[in-house]
Amino acid sequence: MGAVTDDEVIRKRLLIDGDGAGDDRRINLLVKSFIKWCNSGSQEEGYSQYQRMLSTLSQCEFSMGKTLLVYDMNLREMENYEKIYKEIECSIAGAHEKIAECKKQILQAKRIRKNRQEYDALAKVIQHHPDRHETLKELEALGKELEHLSHIKESVEDKLELRRKQFHVLLSTIHELQQTLENDDKLSEVDETQESAMEADPKP
Amino acid sequence: MTIFSQSVSPCGKFLAAGNNYGRIAIFSLSAALSSEAKEESKKPMVTFHAHDGPVYSMVSTDRHLLSAGDGEVKGWLWAEILKKGCKELWRRQPPYRTSLEVPEINALLLVPKENSLILAGGDCQLHTMDLETGTFTRALRGHTDYIHCLALRDRSPEVLSGGEDGAVRLWDLRIAKEVQTIEVYKHEECSRPHNGRWIGCLATDSDWMVCGGGPALTLWHLRSSTPTTVFPIRAPQKHVTFYQDLILSAGQGCCVNHWQLSGELKAQVPGSSPGLLSLSLNQQPAAPECKVLTASGNSCRVDVFTNLGYRAFSMSF
Repeated sequence: MGAVTDDEVIRKRLLIDGDGAGDDRRINLLVKSFIKWCNSGSQEEGYSQYQRMLSTLSQCEFSMGKTLLVYDMNLREMENYEKIYKEIECSIAGAHEKIAECKKQILQAKRIRKNRQEYDALAKVIQHHPDRHETLKELEALGKELEHLSHIKESVEDKLELRRKQFHVLLSTIHELQQTLENDDKLSEVDETQESAMEADPKP
Repeated sequence: MTIFSQSVSPCGKFLAAGNNYGRIAIFSLSAALSSEAKEESKKPMVTFHAHDGPVYSMVSTDRHLLSAGDGEVKGWLWAEILKKGCKELWRRQPPYRTSLEVPEINALLLVPKENSLILAGGDCQLHTMDLETGTFTRALRGHTDYIHCLALRDRSPEVLSGGEDGAVRLWDLRIAKEVQTIEVYKHEECSRPHNGRWIGCLATDSDWMVCGGGPALTLWHLRSSTPTTVFPIRAPQKHVTFYQDLILSAGQGCCVNHWQLSGELKAQVPGSSPGLLSLSLNQQPAAPECKVLTASGNSCRVDVFTNLGYRAFSMSF
């Protein structure tokens, strides 16, 4: 376990500061300069060394502060991203629902369009045929004409019958007259022959 | 090779296609449509020999695949069909008047309300077969030449049949008689005497009917038996179907045509076969991700259209 953590530590250290520049070197330099300062002789040298050490220390503190701030910033960025991610998920779900809704509407609209087109197709066919009212009126007019004409026909036929009957009466009267005249002629002939026969008889 | 017929499985994930050598191939639609589809997904999962002659027509019930070709109709179980060496569950032959030549069966139609199957083909009659008992209940006579296609009118239990004699006949199943005849070639708006009078394809939507073939593809209003719209395409159409507010048709010429009811051509989507004979829309509710249009015809390929506007890919026999 210890070996693993050591490896981890080494890996992390190499990752962060592999080339030896930066903070690691500064801390090593600080330790060396501290030892040098402890061993330093003169006052000004010690003082300048002391100043140098202070500046190195403050540099280290500064970079540490910077790292802490960056860490904070990263944490807050992560939170921000999580929030945005959740929002986007919500809006995706909302969009899915809207899509489903719109698909239903499309189906409905297609049905409506189909009905309209069926209506149009039938209407076109119906337009070809003439208007019903006009046809009815024409039918009525024709009916009336038909009635009128049939009345005329009836009256003409009646007249014809009447004339025929009158002619019949006339002709039969003429025939009777003829018969009577012939009868009379015959009778008068018969009388004449009878008379001549009666005259011839008393002679002998 | 010509692929005459297609049928979708009840689960919506498989497509069966029958060709002119009598073989049926089962394709896995879900594998071919998935995102990791490879070349092998577009080959059939299994093919088997079904009939001695071409498989002209296939339909699926909720457990069986029914296929028909040279005078016989055979039933296969969908659950068993993917195993090797699949045998048919049953085979039946409708009672033909002459036993000398066996006429082919061109069209099959399921009537779910009375659980029966209607067969029609070369002997000019429509035979009804009860699916539970397998007996042939009715034989409807009236056509004078062989029958090409059948369609079911949902609301009233009527069947429409169209054939070589140029007439579309409506049969009422309850009284087993012909109730209406429409002689398409006699109407001059749609007749094309140079093509003949045969009716190759039929589809119905309760009050409306589309038929085509020799005469031009026309939309009819059934109650008044009047042709309302003639679709301006010269090639005879071999398969037509209603879909939402469109009419899809396919025939000679490699395209699937999308028509609006007003007669306008909305789209013409080219397929990969030189002529198309069959269209199949997978609308099974159990597999909404496999909702595709498949088209097959005078080649060994089945085109898959995922979005109706373009051909996504082709599966091959």
